[in-house]
Amino acid sequence: MKRVIQHPTAPSSGRTYWRSTGELLDTPEFREQLEREFPQGIAELEAGVSRRDFVKLLTASMALAGVGLTGCRRPEAHLVPFTKSPEWMIPGRHLHYSTAMPRREGALPLHATSFEGRPTKVEGNPFHTDSAGKTDIFAQASILDLYDPDRARRYLASGKPMEQTAFLAALDSAVQSWKDGSSVAVLEDGLDSPTRARLRAEVLKKFPKISWASHEPLAPGRNGTAAEIAFGEGARLVPQFGKASVVVAVDHDFLSAHESGIKAIRDFVGGRRVRKAGDQMNRLYAIEHRYTVTGGMADHRLRLPASQMGSFLAALALELSKLGVGSGLDDLAAASGQTTELAGETLEWITALAADLAAAKGSALVTVSQRQSVQCQLLAIGINHALGAMGQTLKVRQMPSTGVDTLKSLVTKISAGQIKTLVILGGNPAYTAPSDYEFAAQLASVPSVIYLGDSENETAACAHLFAPKSHYLEAWGDARSCDGSYLTAQPLILPLWSSLSDIQLLARILGIKTDDEPTLVKQSFAAITGLSVGSTDFEAAWKKCLHDGFLAGSAASPEGRAPSTGAVRAWLASNKVPAPRVAADSIEVVFSGDYSVEDGRYNNNGWLQESPDPITKLTWENAALMSATTAKKIGVKNAVVSGILTVDKIRIAVNGQSVEAPALIVPGHADYTITLPLGYGRTKTGRVGKASGFNAYPLRSSSSDYVAIGAQVSLSSSGYKLAITQEHSAMEGRAIVREASLEVFNQDPEFVNKVGIDSHAPPNVSFYKNPPLTGVHQWGMSLDLTTCTGCTACVVACQAENNIPIVGKDQVAKGREMHWIRIDRYYSGTEENAEMLVQPMTCVQCENAPCETVCPVNATVHNEEGLNVMTYNRCIGTRYCANNCPFKVRRFNYFNYSDRPTDKLYWGPLAAKDTAETTKMQRNPNVTVRMRGVMEKCTFCVQRLEAAKIDQKAKNAFTDKTEIPTDSVMTACQQACPTDAIVFGNLNDENSRVVHLKQAPHDYAVLGYLNLKPRVTYLGRIRNINAEMPGAENLVMSTMNEMHHGGAHEPHAEGVKEAGEDAIHETYKTQSNH
Amino acid sequence: MANIFPRWTNFLPIKIIVMVITIVPLLIVGATYYFTPKYTRVGYMPTQPVSYSHALHVNQLGMDCRYCHTGVEVSSHSNVPTTQTCMNCHTAIKKDSSKLAALRESWETGRPMNWVKIHKAPDYVYFNHAAHVNRGVGCASCHGQINRMEVVWHDQPQSMGWCLECHRAPHQQIRPKEEIYNLDWKAPSREAQLTMGTELVKQWNINPPQTCAACHR
Repeated sequence: MKRVIQHPTAPSSGRTYWRSTGELLDTPEFREQLEREFPQGIAELEAGVSRRDFVKLLTASMALAGVGLTGCRRPEAHLVPFTKSPEWMIPGRHLHYSTAMPRREGALPLHATSFEGRPTKVEGNPFHTDSAGKTDIFAQASILDLYDPDRARRYLASGKPMEQTAFLAALDSAVQSWKDGSSVAVLEDGLDSPTRARLRAEVLKKFPKISWASHEPLAPGRNGTAAEIAFGEGARLVPQFGKASVVVAVDHDFLSAHESGIKAIRDFVGGRRVRKAGDQMNRLYAIEHRYTVTGGMADHRLRLPASQMGSFLAALALELSKLGVGSGLDDLAAASGQTTELAGETLEWITALAADLAAAKGSALVTVSQRQSVQCQLLAIGINHALGAMGQTLKVRQMPSTGVDTLKSLVTKISAGQIKTLVILGGNPAYTAPSDYEFAAQLASVPSVIYLGDSENETAACAHLFAPKSHYLEAWGDARSCDGSYLTAQPLILPLWSSLSDIQLLARILGIKTDDEPTLVKQSFAAITGLSVGSTDFEAAWKKCLHDGFLAGSAASPEGRAPSTGAVRAWLASNKVPAPRVAADSIEVVFSGDYSVEDGRYNNNGWLQESPDPITKLTWENAALMSATTAKKIGVKNAVVSGILTVDKIRIAVNGQSVEAPALIVPGHADYTITLPLGYGRTKTGRVGKASGFNAYPLRSSSSDYVAIGAQVSLSSSGYKLAITQEHSAMEGRAIVREASLEVFNQDPEFVNKVGIDSHAPPNVSFYKNPPLTGVHQWGMSLDLTTCTGCTACVVACQAENNIPIVGKDQVAKGREMHWIRIDRYYSGTEENAEMLVQPMTCVQCENAPCETVCPVNATVHNEEGLNVMTYNRCIGTRYCANNCPFKVRRFNYFNYSDRPTDKLYWGPLAAKDTAETTKMQRNPNVTVRMRGVMEKCTFCVQRLEAAKIDQKAKNAFTDKTEIPTDSVMTACQQACPTDAIVFGNLNDENSRVVHLKQAPHDYAVLGYLNLKPRVTYLGRIRNINAEMPGAENLVMSTMNEMHHGGAHEPHAEGVKEAGEDAIHETYKTQSNH
Repeated sequence: MANIFPRWTNFLPIKIIVMVITIVPLLIVGATYYFTPKYTRVGYMPTQPVSYSHALHVNQLGMDCRYCHTGVEVSSHSNVPTTQTCMNCHTAIKKDSSKLAALRESWETGRPMNWVKIHKAPDYVYFNHAAHVNRGVGCASCHGQINRMEVVWHDQPQSMGWCLECHRAPHQQIRPKEEIYNLDWKAPSREAQLTMGTELVKQWNINPPQTCAACHR
């Protein structure tokens, strides 16, 4: 008899995990959606097409195919070798080059992969600690920007195309008239480099009166301002997350890619790897206004409006002072003038937090977002000092002064008519500048604007002379990493569109010919190393630096220093700003960077646009985020209509400006606060970014660049559809994710086996006799839910490695996204104070794979190494496999996503194939580009596995040593993962990390009772709950009692069987009778 | 009542059956012969831009395969030589030959040679040379005796079934490591090949994959 598994209808783990409000409330729409694989109307034929019509069409197309077949000829293909053999290059093999990606918070050392001169992927530089081989979502997606057909590719004079030579001549003649530079200004982006700094100094020497300003919309650097007050000129704070046992993140999303470097994330997560009972684990408290990646990782989280962080810190200082921590904290709190009128429960929370911090004195760290006010920064410095953090968890680094001014002073000069020529190096200030500067209008008043930009964007429209800016992979350069190391950035390819880099432009201003590009960097290197260009020592050092990607020993050495508490107190006392009131009649608006497009610079990147936001799971646009309470007050409704999330639009007015935005209700958001992610609604962007989202920059003024109070919000329209992936592929409460507190784990390390139906089901027995898996290598993967932040870097890394297409907003809304990994985000608890956890879900490579048994053409089969392989050229697209997959990880090409434009998919062959030649250059030559009608899924990067095995065979030619060295091959997701949550390896190799992880007590298989024997297993999530915190007893499984049956499986009393249990027992009875 | 069907229709069913019996096998035989790589590929011998003779270079001059096909031991591709490789000798030897005009032009202008591709695996097949030549499969097993060819032709079908024949029974083709690039080598007898092949397969732990992902990904 067929084994029928009745999945439990109610969760049996004692806790409810939900993915959306619809699921929490169990609305009829949600239930209906669950029943269907795809939203309504998507899997059915169009109305009006009968079966008969369909067969007619089928016959006609067969006949046409016959016509086509007669035209078959053997096409003549050519082999085109190089004329001169390039050094190092072996056709068919890729090369790695060290380079660096310039970033706001410090450049990221990278290794770029190049196939026959064509960069296709970037990975972290494993030899430098700032990356340690890891990357993030922006680094992974940056390769697509290189090939973006909408990148700036021509020189413009007031909008008319011109030649590069004409541009350079125009620039030269402009520079001739600069004299001492008193009417000239330069505005640069925040991607500074040693060579840029050197050339800047030389330009300032030549034209001493030039005004030089810098603008970075999301990096106001208020932490730097505060550090200078407390520690003196040039001081910058360097948190040491690796040394902290208790971290308090005050509105600081330090675990997200664009807030701090990868090293900070790695250091922090390094303190959370629990492998056996008794292992130490750090504790994270997050205080934030909306859910962030950091909040999701937090052991305890407090939702608080962003403008109340000063009050929070003042209250914390007072509490610590009461506990006798440090001295003068009460004075500091008083001096700050922050009211401490926080809600009673918040104060209780702070009291318990203060006690925990006091106990962790010397290894505690309070960190604040650089966008929070200087008051907050100073209060945090005071608290850290009192907690003995200086020199332990917090150090100070001395930075040289750049002498660069702010955008504000530049705008003042432009308004006064002092500036006749403005040179803009990178960035997009016309889009990102605070709205009260009216920067676009200011630009119009400058007689000559010269702009070097990535794309023909909003700023380019205001420029008189425009030059395309080189991508970092096509220009020589250098940079400083987060830890201050000197990095060299070498180009992987000649500029695709004869563009210029920022240092080439500055060199031209100095009269240096631009074909001298590497020399510009060499001179900086010489200045730093003290060697003279051309000497043998120099050449050797330079070659080594280029090869390694960094100059060894050049990292800054931060030190512990005591802040000047007097100066801090004095500054606070003279800059008193009481915390504003946030209430229903005084709504707060917070401007945040977006997880996908940052400040808008990645707006035209399809991979980033389509990668779901780690929290909201929203793709292709932004939305105004708010709590259910706020939504109720405004009258906003979110509903799932025909399987697609449909929301109301609101009009938000603040600072004399207003924008219209779709309103999305999210759990765990502070009340009467609205979060507006920036970076969308660009007016001048490419085909990908066009018409995506709304622009929140107009609401943002210079005085309220992070928080604005007193917004007027009103409903404007309804029926707006959002493409959200959160409810796709839902799995009802089946103990898919498992978590426990550290205390429970220490008492019962194998807690994962005692939740859900797995605690009931007898040991799995199989009737099938699978063919033996004979491969030398047996691949497996372990995913650690404790360290996964949900940052989505793996999703984009997989996309880059495996030629995964983007499908567009319309298709995502229909549940047809193609990502091979998805990050499931679950909430638990109440909607107001929801807890969050994430689970990456990819093909788990079942040994008893349900997909394989239903494929009518054997397109998906098992190989001898335990992989569930997919043969695209054999697939006929029945989709039976996707239907039979319990994990919903198979993806189907409904259209020719790789070739057709996403807005004309339904045109079929009538729409011209529009994939740009440059975009094709990005594709991995070792992975098939799939076409319409083909199923695909994660393959464990089989191309990498095969390459590793073959390399091993070639290395040990004519021997029997075919086993690859331990852990010498990585999947793309594993290689990218900044927290090392993904570990992959050979299960036959007992030294492999994956084998050790699978032996951990909290290793479990999702849906283990189905006996699928998945090769991907998970380590249950462990949270370090502080039992003294108010409400701790309601968090996760913090007590043994709450766990299912308190441990070992015991027989139930009559009538208290759990749902689904009957079915399981019945099924097994039937089987044993069989 | 008159007959609905005329008299000649009496024999129609038999005629149809006879036709089917003769035509269907013909179609099957025709398709298996004419539509398979054995017919469509083997013997393909296009004219190359320069009439390069492997027979001359390999057989008479004794050049090794790897002098020109440099990547074969380490890469998936066995690359065709760059113009520079040819010019290593032809700047001195036969430097004015009219047959080499195209080569000299390539060298002078920097425009690459356009050799016509003969062995073409479909896009979804990821064949790897290094995996074969380092494991006892000789050049001649797949390419035939190139050293005897004035003009290279497609010698073996290189269809999937043909690949699998060897992957299922590698001992029939495996040769000693000294003879990989010796295109003239042949086992003394079938029995000798099988004995030696079995021994080598064991010695080198040769276990060719027969599942899809070995070549399709």
